[in-house]
Amino acid sequence: MASSAAPVLVLENEPERLRDWAGAMWHFRHLLAMLSRAQFHVRYKRASFGVAWAVGLPLIQAAVLTIVFEKLVRVSGGLHFGAYVLSGVLAWSYFSQTVAPGSTAIVEGSSLTDKVWFPRAILPATTVFANLPGLAVSMAFLVVALPVLGVPLGIRVLLLPLACALLIAFTLALVEVLAALHVYFRDVRFLVQAALVVWFYVTPIAYPKALLKGLATWIDVNPLTGIVALFHLATVGNEANWQRPLLFALAWTAVLVIAAVEAHRRRDRLFVDLL
Amino acid sequence: MNDVVLSLEGVSKRYVKLDEKAMLLRSLLPFARPARSELWALRDVDLVVRQGETVGLIGRNGAGKTTLLRLLAGVTRPSAGRVTVAGRIAPLISVGVGFHPEMSGRENVYVNGMLLGLSSKQISERLDDIVSFAELERFIDTPVKFYSSGMYMRLGFSVAISADPDVLLVDEVLAVGDLAFQLRCFDRMRQIQERGATILLVSHSMQAIRNLCPRAVVLREGRVEYDGEVSDAIGRHHELMSADVAAGAVRTAVDVEHAVVTGGARIVDRRLLSGGHVVHHATVDETLTFEARVTFDRSVDSPQLFFSVLRDDGRLAYSLFTEPEQRYQSYAAGDVADVRVRFNCRLGGGTYKLVLQVLTSDGRQMLEPDDAGLLFFVAPAPGSAGLTHLGAEITVDGQAVSDYGEFTLGRRQAP
Repeated sequence: MASSAAPVLVLENEPERLRDWAGAMWHFRHLLAMLSRAQFHVRYKRASFGVAWAVGLPLIQAAVLTIVFEKLVRVSGGLHFGAYVLSGVLAWSYFSQTVAPGSTAIVEGSSLTDKVWFPRAILPATTVFANLPGLAVSMAFLVVALPVLGVPLGIRVLLLPLACALLIAFTLALVEVLAALHVYFRDVRFLVQAALVVWFYVTPIAYPKALLKGLATWIDVNPLTGIVALFHLATVGNEANWQRPLLFALAWTAVLVIAAVEAHRRRDRLFVDLL
Repeated sequence: MNDVVLSLEGVSKRYVKLDEKAMLLRSLLPFARPARSELWALRDVDLVVRQGETVGLIGRNGAGKTTLLRLLAGVTRPSAGRVTVAGRIAPLISVGVGFHPEMSGRENVYVNGMLLGLSSKQISERLDDIVSFAELERFIDTPVKFYSSGMYMRLGFSVAISADPDVLLVDEVLAVGDLAFQLRCFDRMRQIQERGATILLVSHSMQAIRNLCPRAVVLREGRVEYDGEVSDAIGRHHELMSADVAAGAVRTAVDVEHAVVTGGARIVDRRLLSGGHVVHHATVDETLTFEARVTFDRSVDSPQLFFSVLRDDGRLAYSLFTEPEQRYQSYAAGDVADVRVRFNCRLGGGTYKLVLQVLTSDGRQMLEPDDAGLLFFVAPAPGSAGLTHLGAEITVDGQAVSDYGEFTLGRRQAP
């Protein structure tokens, strides 16, 4: 029974030590996998087209945006505009589909959390991982669609996994911070929804960045600009000035990762008091 | 070897209730601090539980029992003091913890098992046991949203006990499920006990506490009021309850559903008597008298009376309605009526609530439900247990063997 090998839990009114918190995250990694799988299955359970919707919705969005911006606004600027929009929209779609539910995950998961303990960071992370199959299908579709849209496949497609990795890391860190904030400020849910509407248009997805002229400098600060730039690099190729936004994206991700770890390490066992 | 499994040293837990609506605004404004009110759920609690002990936690709602279990489960952390838990802990708190309604019973067993710290391999090994103990073989692939609350509970309990916990935390779950399942739960908990595990049991059922726990802790307003032998603890608990009832601090609900409460009467004095003395404890077969003085705040013609006895789990043990056709007396505002109910205490051992409700002749309640109950405790007859006192006797070959006055087992004679 309570042998010397048994785990000993000591709780005081102090933040978790980084080592303990990270150790707990590692210990519960299978739970994360299990919950992610469960969420994935539940989402597509009774939809005949299943995970194909992860591609279907952004595809429709990309088609509409391409028609509107290329034919009506005439912004294409000598690009393979369809491929340009599609690659950005697929990345965006993963981001927005994850951030909205992920930022409320701790509060929504309160029935799981008020009796047994596991690191609360598991809950937002679950959404991030549950959407990974959708992202994978999107990327596979993208690679197949590129030649159809007139873009020959090149070695640069190998950048896609890197672009995805950065996208996932940024999304995960952001969602963890938002979910922690949402415990304290329930307005976060609505702020996120509002922010997503604006965010889409301040990210060069449906238009080339060159269109913005002087404003492009400011758009570079947006972390998604750098991430989307990586997707553009991997697909249509000729993306100009991708270095600066990419640096911003990396910096944002690093800051958010630190903020997320600190927030959860300090507050993890206090969230439940406010649920 | 140090065999202390659970220890609380000077533990306090403060909940801060924030004014939720204004929170974002207030924290953005420079000088406005969020409006907050504090609640101390636990105050300076010291508790040591050693390996193999089974300890009952008793106290009124809001006494801090659940907070204590939550601290031990590691769900929340203390505001002051230190909580130490040595060993793997399986909380068994309320029904269907962490069940995902869309997922099948089987999938939920995996999620639940992992929440309790089992690996998927361990769960696979135990799956058959879990399912058969929960008696859910036929429904294990059904989404749990189609489960009844009893099925939920059985599955939850089944997973929790299969986790081989060093420490089992039990919060009231045994109140759910049919009797047969409850008995098997008790059996299984005894097995866990015998294996040397430590159990902490929260229950409002003094019967369950008495059956399983040699030791009990009485909590009151977040402090340890008593810690020791179970009978003394239950006695202390009842004293506190009676005192609180007398002070009007206990809110009690009458189980007359959909009752229309109009008010208009108050009970100003209420007591239980035996042989002319006020009592809070009774023994079986004792003749008891419940007395209440009712003051009417408005005039009423032939009020009806409804006398009921509720068990501590809220079930009705007995009730008596006055004859509605019988006209007897009118009262004007300000009048006082003395009500006396004499009865024979043929109840099984346990805690009961005596409820007197006053109704108008067309059946509307005149007492606020909060104002209607008196708690008392019945000591069981030696050797007996159950819902009622039947006064049964057992004889073997003509010799009485259930007489605890001089208990001897009958010698079995050859036929």
